[in-house]
Amino acid sequence: MIWLTWRQFRVQAWVIAALVAAVVATLLVAAPGMFGLYRDTGLAACTGACESASVAFAKQVDNGGLFGAYLVGSAVLLLLPALIGVFWGAPLVARELESGTHRLVWNQTVSRGRWLTVKLAGIGAVAILASGLLSLVVTWFSVPIDRAGDFGRVTPLLFSSRGVVPMGYALLAFVGGLAIGMLTRRLVVAMALTLVFVVVTQLAAPFGFREHLVTPTSSSSAFEAGRIQSLWIDPENRITIQLESPAHSSWVLSNVTVGPDGKEYHGPVDGTKCGRAGGPDECHAWLAQQGLVSKIDYIPAEGFWALQWRELGVLLVTTGLLSAFCLWWIRRRVS
Amino acid sequence: MSDVVTIKGLTKKYGRRTALADCTLDIPAGHVVGLVGPNGAGKSTLLQLTCGLLAPTEGAIEVLGAAPMSGSPRVGFVAQDTPVYAGLTVAEHLRLGAHLNPGWDATLADGRIAELGLDPRQRAGKLSGGQRAQLALTLAIAKRPELLLLDEPVAALDPLARREFLQGLMSYAAEHGTSVVMSSHLVADLERVCDYLIVLVASRVRVAGEVEELLGTHHRLSGARRDPGELGPGRDVIAESHTDVQSTLVVRSSAPIEDPSWSVDGLNLEDLVLAYMSEAGRSGRDRVLEKR
Repeated sequence: MIWLTWRQFRVQAWVIAALVAAVVATLLVAAPGMFGLYRDTGLAACTGACESASVAFAKQVDNGGLFGAYLVGSAVLLLLPALIGVFWGAPLVARELESGTHRLVWNQTVSRGRWLTVKLAGIGAVAILASGLLSLVVTWFSVPIDRAGDFGRVTPLLFSSRGVVPMGYALLAFVGGLAIGMLTRRLVVAMALTLVFVVVTQLAAPFGFREHLVTPTSSSSAFEAGRIQSLWIDPENRITIQLESPAHSSWVLSNVTVGPDGKEYHGPVDGTKCGRAGGPDECHAWLAQQGLVSKIDYIPAEGFWALQWRELGVLLVTTGLLSAFCLWWIRRRVS
Repeated sequence: MSDVVTIKGLTKKYGRRTALADCTLDIPAGHVVGLVGPNGAGKSTLLQLTCGLLAPTEGAIEVLGAAPMSGSPRVGFVAQDTPVYAGLTVAEHLRLGAHLNPGWDATLADGRIAELGLDPRQRAGKLSGGQRAQLALTLAIAKRPELLLLDEPVAALDPLARREFLQGLMSYAAEHGTSVVMSSHLVADLERVCDYLIVLVASRVRVAGEVEELLGTHHRLSGARRDPGELGPGRDVIAESHTDVQSTLVVRSSAPIEDPSWSVDGLNLEDLVLAYMSEAGRSGRDRVLEKR
């Protein structure tokens, strides 16, 4: 059964292995340049805010294709679950059902449950290996950029292409594709639906459950003009203010500035101080007298690994349940 | 001899459509059984229920003394259109068989492939229909099953390939004493090889029995036109056709028919099967008439 699994899987395996190997090789070739720059700009040795080192690093990182290599690595890592789901998962059962070969193979001396278990375990392990290796290299390569950049790796933009969660996404995509193929019994339909499934799972985390996996930090601080991140005044003189998060590179979940009554502050502003008439300094000074308080909920950069492991746990449990469903369904319902 | 398949009140429905209705049947061991019926009669459904690929909606089925389960070492199955993996070579199919079947008979499998002149390095997708069917049959018999099921194995083959396939099957079954059940919608395919016949029409079993016995107890009667009810007890009219002056009947009767006013002929297998098929059609029409 292991031999057959490998024999039927090897072409798809080699294609994706070659892609992963190419990206890993590119990053390894670019790594000396990246870490040389990290050291030379002083960012590696720097502790604290490191603004000047960050700026110097960010200016030069575009040279020599370092940033390009970084983008390719992250993009392939984000794309990998879709590829695995569509080309490894969806065809696994759907193609057998479509070509009728399930009637051949299930009449050898092998139960359907065992047939599927070996395929699930074998190809699932390869999916973990491929995505784990790529994520390891991308995460390592991105350390300098994550430190210098405006966004921390705990933010949704980067979170899914770092650490251990790519393995969870790859595995979920594989089993999801398999289940969709088994239910639809049509290869092309299964591949299309699997693509939708993978996109939905990758969006479900940042827009759905991820923020509930750890308790966010809540900060409450008096208004400071120097920390203004954005300030809007609409034609009705309503004002909306957001201050910068107190922790650098954190994932901000909610950011409101409240008035003395505890409700979100919208003015109305004094037209002679703020808006067209007054200058920014005048406006800031006026705002400072209004007794405003900035309330920000965020997940700090230090929460990255806790969040990674918990999200991986959620993905693995989902994958496990889906696998159990597949094993039940193939024994009972597929013919 | 014991029965290889015992079926009681077996019904299979796909949604609202009934593929097999209340089928009761015993298939004795040691026969080459022909399962014959028109397209859509339920032959594939019956065979897939027997090998455990399908689960019955109602009723009970026992195969070799146990509930059927796909993956059994004791039952071999060649599915309709003889599916094989297009991307795998002939040799890889044999390797697949050897890996997945503890009772794999490599000598038999390799010998058959050599005898058929198949190139082991050839991809199965490039084989002709006849070669593909032979490969599928080789896989099914090299696991050395006690019961071999074949679902329209020769439907897609030309007459020469058909003959070669059936000869190979016959010599194997005779040599190893394997029970074989094969379906076809063409009686001619089965006439040469089967010694037991099951006629399945419109999801019901019409008749089942040994070919010799069936041929011995069915008669074609022709004579002056009259009511078939006059024939007397113990004689079932299977099919009848009348002209203004003459009646022709197909009758099942264990006792010989001695009424001199009939001229009595034997039937060949094809006529016999056609008689049962037309009987099914006739009773179908009757039901429609009764409803009105």
